[in-house]
Amino acid sequence: MVYIDGTEQSITAAQYAVCLARYLDAGLSALYVVNTKALEDLVRARIFLREEEEEYEKDLKEDARRYLNHVKELGQKKGLTVEVKSSMGNVRQEIVKIIKEDEIDLLVVGEISKIRSRRDEFYDETDRAMRSSPCSVLIVKDEDRVWELYESLE
Amino acid sequence: MALVDLISEEVVKVPLSSTDKPGVLRELLQILKDAGMVDDYDRVLEAIYKREELGSTGLEEGIAVPHAKTDAVKSLTIAIGISPQGIDFHSLDGKPSQLFFLMLALPNQSGPHIEALAEIAKLSKSRAFCNALINAKSAKEVVALFRED
Repeated sequence: MVYIDGTEQSITAAQYAVCLARYLDAGLSALYVVNTKALEDLVRARIFLREEEEEYEKDLKEDARRYLNHVKELGQKKGLTVEVKSSMGNVRQEIVKIIKEDEIDLLVVGEISKIRSRRDEFYDETDRAMRSSPCSVLIVKDEDRVWELYESLE
Repeated sequence: MALVDLISEEVVKVPLSSTDKPGVLRELLQILKDAGMVDDYDRVLEAIYKREELGSTGLEEGIAVPHAKTDAVKSLTIAIGISPQGIDFHSLDGKPSQLFFLMLALPNQSGPHIEALAEIAKLSKSRAFCNALINAKSAKEVVALFRED
């Protein structure tokens, strides 16, 4: 399963996951989590107004649809059917839940921050998901190389 | 994308020279324009003002988080400004704001935008960290507070 969060890094991870699934003759699913936990936190912190929460939730759902469609197309171009799913809630918890429910063997994520912080608050959701995953995790790096790999796949 | 990835010395200003709310917003935006992150200064400023009209983004305890989504920026970006003496930002508790985080994102980057704002919400709960930022003497010191340098 590849985790998609709307970053270029996660799309690179999807390209690599397509290659891997094809080489290994494995199934591939893609997950986008609409981060409603963060939206609630922002309203609680009064950074967001209620109307902003609603607006951004719509945006996130639209992002989920668009990015998952893109990943589906990445698979189709290489003859692979990608099962896409989106959920809502706390990103880390949703990823862990779906890994367990779907008995995922490998979580594929985009490159995480190169910069280390002394504060846990500054680790992003991909980083947290990677640390909490009950299955093995593959972190995909080097966008150019992955693109070449994807393009060369027959 | 983690918040620390967005923070570099060129997007931090210590201290801010402005003394009122419109001045702070313009000064923070100018930091991003000088850093080459903003395509259309006026259009972004309009988007920021439009959000402020709905309600001030001046929170409690001296923190303000003005934000907007606009297609006039290159990517998700942040400017940090510090005013140790404080500026009236029409905050929720009526106290002057000292720590400013201006966050701008493209409309199709809602996911990373929300995650970065949520990280700011978390850090705003740490009084000790906010005090350390307010007492920082330089942009370099601010960046070091975020990173494990």
